[in-house]
Amino acid sequence: MRIAKLSYLKAVGVRLLAGIPVFLLVTFSATALSSLMPGSAAQLILGENATQAQIDALNSRYGYDLPVWERYLGWLGRLLQGDLGQTMFSQQSVAKLLVDRAAVTFEIALLAMFVSLLIGVPLAMYTASRPGGIVDTVLRAVSSVMLSIPTFVIVVLLGFVFAIVLRWLPATGWVSFSDDPIGNLYYVALPVMCLSVHQAAYFYRVSRSEFVAVLQEDYVLVARAKGLPTRYILMRHVLRPASPQVLTVMGLSMTYLLGGSFIVESYFAVPGIGWTVLNAVSSHDLPVMQAILSLTVVIFVVIFILVDLGYALIDPRVDVS
Amino acid sequence: MSRLQPTQTDLVPGEAVALSETLNAAMPKTARFRMPSGHPMEWFAFVFLAVLIVSSVFVEFIPGLVRASFPYGDFSQGPEWSLNGLFGTDALGRSILSRVLYGARTTLAIVSVATLISLVIGMILGMLAGFYRGPVERIVDLYANSMASLPPILVILALISVTGNSVFTMMLALGLLDIGTYARIAKGGVIAQNDRDYVLAARAMGASDMRLLLREILPNLVPALTAIVPPLMAGLIITEGSLSFLGYGIPAPAPSWGGMIASSTDLLSRFPLLIFGPIVAIVLTVYSLNTVGDCLARRMNHRGREL
Repeated sequence: MRIAKLSYLKAVGVRLLAGIPVFLLVTFSATALSSLMPGSAAQLILGENATQAQIDALNSRYGYDLPVWERYLGWLGRLLQGDLGQTMFSQQSVAKLLVDRAAVTFEIALLAMFVSLLIGVPLAMYTASRPGGIVDTVLRAVSSVMLSIPTFVIVVLLGFVFAIVLRWLPATGWVSFSDDPIGNLYYVALPVMCLSVHQAAYFYRVSRSEFVAVLQEDYVLVARAKGLPTRYILMRHVLRPASPQVLTVMGLSMTYLLGGSFIVESYFAVPGIGWTVLNAVSSHDLPVMQAILSLTVVIFVVIFILVDLGYALIDPRVDVS
Repeated sequence: MSRLQPTQTDLVPGEAVALSETLNAAMPKTARFRMPSGHPMEWFAFVFLAVLIVSSVFVEFIPGLVRASFPYGDFSQGPEWSLNGLFGTDALGRSILSRVLYGARTTLAIVSVATLISLVIGMILGMLAGFYRGPVERIVDLYANSMASLPPILVILALISVTGNSVFTMMLALGLLDIGTYARIAKGGVIAQNDRDYVLAARAMGASDMRLLLREILPNLVPALTAIVPPLMAGLIITEGSLSFLGYGIPAPAPSWGGMIASSTDLLSRFPLLIFGPIVAIVLTVYSLNTVGDCLARRMNHRGREL
């Protein structure tokens, strides 16, 4: 047992180490890109009428006139001390801002994933046990159309239906969960629905093809021959062997959910990471961009570690290291 | 993706779906050379793409169709049964059908060039990585992992905030996105082929590395690479559309699907029908590319199994 735990720790450590080069490359590229941007940050802060002396003074105060390497190493050094710097315009702490905004995005992403699994997987079980039926044919067509609708089309259509025609849900705005849990659900519903359309179709397709494959195994035939009911076979014999693939897709779909959060958050004016980074890009707010890029990379490394560990939990034959 | 997977598959999930569906689909064993095997939706996809490509390339020569910037009729007219008014007119009285087709030309040009860039660079890097392994492989993996860990919109936004958003920079920026994916497929293919007897035979005859890679191994990578081109192109179309929707795409007067959708949202409550032209265009294009991709993956896989 002890050895097993140690091997888990080692596996996590090895993967974290493997993520470090990716982290360094991404954050360094962000610094390098920002120094190539036309128009300096100081110019943007001070406006059109600033004199060259004022601009130079501000640049040297924040270190924007240093070479890329020095700026990057400085940023890295402060990061190791837990200091992510301050936002360029409002001078808030980036770390605190990031925590607030990430909480919003994660709430939406996790709810969307939960809703999609809840819709996609049971439907997949149903159609996988009746392949070629009417429901199967219809859902195959529906899911491939849903996979082809870009998020920015979904937000427009669902926003139109639920906020303008039916007036059930607010078109824009946000109330945080800690302020008002019920109001939060009210505001979170539309963004979650928009992200779930694509995800539910994706989970449906992946889990259906996995279920169909597992249903052809000999042990399922044995279970059928024993006269076990189909529902029991699906829950006890099929769900677990089909889970690793679904787990992979869950990990990968975080890319989609975070990417989709740009569109959803900017359309519904939800103050999450996507919305923040869009503002940061247009205002050249480098500290915020750096912090969000770092966070994204860290999230991905952590998700892939979790997916790997998930395999080992689902399938005991998998060797963690 | 992971060394921990119980079954060693080097597939991206979309492909995995396509492949496992392949195994389920009761296809005849003898897949001779023939076009999409019966599915009406596959026929539809091929025909739609062909029509879209031809009509957007030769859009000036469509008789009776006005230019995209031409104020053709009254503002925000609903669809009517005429060529220019088929999808209605926008808030400036321009024909939406014309703008959809001119937008298709820009989008298809950007996405095709971007795909060409990433396919060629990705294939070369992936083949070198799979053949020589060592540091080349590590660098290619690092690039692929970095790109995979960032949302594509964020990457493009960062790039075009430096270079500006012209058609040309858009092509280059989008071209950087999928290099890692193509490289990974090519690398996996080279590693799988490298131990085959035919490579050993060629090597024994004294073939150079160049010959091994280009004449012996490359032809065997073509099926896998071809099959992922359409779905990745669909992804680029969505990314390009999203950027235009957010206002960071090709600058204003040029028509783009994303931009048209964004501008019709303001008028949505009064003229809801006007948004359907660009939506139908982008959804059908993405759907067709995905369907063609599935179809190619199935056929390539099938041929592979016959060997």
